[in-house]
Amino acid sequence: MIVNDCFISAPGKAILHGEHAVVHGKVALAVCLNLRTYLRLRATTNGKVCINLPNIDTFLSWDLDEVKQLNPHPCGQSEELNCLDHEIVRRLRDFVGVVDGKLDTGNMAILAFLYIYISLFGSGELPSLTMSVWSELPTGAGLGSSAAYSVCLAAALLCACGAIPVPLKETDHTARWCQEDLELINSWAFKGEMIIHGNPSGVDNAVGTWGGMLRFVVGKIIPLSRVPLLRILLTNTKVPRSTKVLVARVKDKINKFPSIMIPVLDSVDGISCTCEKVLSEMTSEPITGEHYNILEELIDINQHHLNVMGVGHPTLDTLCRVTLTRGLHSKLTGAGGGGCGITLLRPETDSLVVQRTAQDLKDCGFDCWETSIGGPGVQQHSPVSIKQEVLDILNKY
Amino acid sequence: MFVAILHGEHAVVHGKVALAVCLNLRTYLRLRATTNGKVCINLPNIDTFLSWDLDEVKQLNPHPCGQSEELNCLDHEIVRRLRDFVGVVDGKLDTGNMAILAFLYIYISLFGSGELPSLTMSVWSELPTGAGLGSSAAYSVCLAAALLCACGAIPVPLKETDHTARWCQEDLELINSWAFKGEMIIHGNPSGVDNAVGTWGGMLRFVVGKIIPLSRVPLLRILLTNTKVPRSTKVLVARVKDKINKFPSIMIPVLDSVDGISCTCEKVLSEMTSEPITGEHYNILEELIDINQHHLNVMGVGHPTLDTLCRVTLTRGLHSKLTGAGGGGCGITLLRPETDSLVVQRTAQDLKDCGFDCWETSIGGPGVQQHSPVSIKQEVLDILNKY
Repeated sequence: MIVNDCFISAPGKAILHGEHAVVHGKVALAVCLNLRTYLRLRATTNGKVCINLPNIDTFLSWDLDEVKQLNPHPCGQSEELNCLDHEIVRRLRDFVGVVDGKLDTGNMAILAFLYIYISLFGSGELPSLTMSVWSELPTGAGLGSSAAYSVCLAAALLCACGAIPVPLKETDHTARWCQEDLELINSWAFKGEMIIHGNPSGVDNAVGTWGGMLRFVVGKIIPLSRVPLLRILLTNTKVPRSTKVLVARVKDKINKFPSIMIPVLDSVDGISCTCEKVLSEMTSEPITGEHYNILEELIDINQHHLNVMGVGHPTLDTLCRVTLTRGLHSKLTGAGGGGCGITLLRPETDSLVVQRTAQDLKDCGFDCWETSIGGPGVQQHSPVSIKQEVLDILNKY
Repeated sequence: MFVAILHGEHAVVHGKVALAVCLNLRTYLRLRATTNGKVCINLPNIDTFLSWDLDEVKQLNPHPCGQSEELNCLDHEIVRRLRDFVGVVDGKLDTGNMAILAFLYIYISLFGSGELPSLTMSVWSELPTGAGLGSSAAYSVCLAAALLCACGAIPVPLKETDHTARWCQEDLELINSWAFKGEMIIHGNPSGVDNAVGTWGGMLRFVVGKIIPLSRVPLLRILLTNTKVPRSTKVLVARVKDKINKFPSIMIPVLDSVDGISCTCEKVLSEMTSEPITGEHYNILEELIDINQHHLNVMGVGHPTLDTLCRVTLTRGLHSKLTGAGGGGCGITLLRPETDSLVVQRTAQDLKDCGFDCWETSIGGPGVQQHSPVSIKQEVLDILNKY
């Protein structure tokens, strides 16, 4: 294995505008959320593969001999780009002990790891290693935590097998890969997502890989060149909901009132396009208060449209009202019906206001993080550039 | 009767369909022939009580030979003389002045060529003025109907045994055109919707200058709430226009959606008069109210008091939207047939606790009508009987 000890992180993702409308062919904007998943990959000499996922209380290890048997194609058959090798998947599911098709988070994370590990190393000598992952992202909240994991996994294992270089120089704090390498990382991350999700859109892993913001519509994902870093509060109402149910609810409403709902979808498309334009202006001219005023107006309008589509929730109304009392503008992000919301902070929003707003939201029973959107995608870290509390966890294993 | 917009306010300015409904909070007018040689006007709502000798009034008519009226225009010579007479200085008209002007204009125009009758007119309104609910139009419609009866241009429809009675289509059109003149005097440039609703009642669809009374609509119970937050319709209309110009790709579809709401609502209300009314009909009406309220917020005419109104009523399971200009002003809350009076009372109380005024009434009721005294609420009758 080429890598001795590397630290890699990838961001989560939030939808800035266009959720739900995108299902019906409209433009959506996905942004990278600077709450990150960190992965440490260490070469070892104990002849084992060890995986530590403390977030989900999953700690496993196997002897290399056990793992070697899993590869059905010891001669290294070539991978098709966007498909899974179902023979490998089947064997892995038996190995991991998946019964009756029921997969829990731990199983899925392990499967994704083993699939990529087997596929990349399977034809040669399997390396003995220990992988530890810690995430700042809540799982199951629609914030791309599984994709952040898959992206880290892909980057780490591709480095380990030499398919991509290790970009970190001695003096660097962080380093990123070139476009071509990012595309390779992204395609393997997508496979991880296919294992975990079954039918992923590809947006989450693209955001995790490239960072910044990307525009997506009808199967086309386009990373946008430059976007400003925007401070936000991310709030989790912790109200569980089914994305499938919510998507169906929107579809039913469109079928029930087409003359009313189809224009609303068009309006959302207009919001995404207008937002992209403003963000682009913010990278090419001096940022003004008016830029932020427009971003806030767009957030408010989109939140109304999401309520019209039927994916609102009383907790989200509370979130919006509480933040508005402090002069801040919010909208749900993702599926709605509960789940998460984002609140835009302005450059002049001082930390006391931010603290108080976060406290108000916690008093409502929500979880709340101060973070930013539009930051970097997958990157390699020197240990000094990682927050101490995360480093402490990763150093345990 | 007052007017509320059910759906389509603001969007209608930009060419979309709107639905105006008649509110069953009414303006009552009493006209009494007298023998004292005076014209007396009593408008207790606005503390205005005036009287003139017939001789003073007779001088006001510049065309004693009864020149014919053009249908939708004002005779500016008459208006000018009346403004001097009433004492309008520097073009400043208060509510009292305008009400008097409207009365005198119609009185002079209808009677001017013959003998002026001595009479006393008293008016009482169930709603305060200035709430954007067509109170001036309700007054103008009553005025027109009363004076047209008095001069014999239309019959007095009430039979001995009737409680209320209405006029035929042709007479209603004459009432409406004179009411519109009253509106022109009071408003300057009225849309004509308010007086049309006041005349015909029920509901009407209006779009780009076309006003179409709808044949049959169900009577719907509502709460009418006045947040009492003052606002300028002109400012709000301009705010919407600016927003459309600023974000056309976002706002123009919203206007289209409002048009869809008005059309869908009309269809449902029509179904409710031709088939048995179901819970699903009311569910749809409530959904349309919620969606339109979101769109009005998007257009920029929301207000924190209106958010409060909507939230307070929703806590009781009732759905509301602003009606009219927004930015404060009034809201309507739909009551379902099964909404029992305890819930209605509590909701009204919740709203009053917010500092709002609140009335339980209905929409889609009758337009201008003549009453026998027994069919008028006692408290109103008591007031009108004073003069």
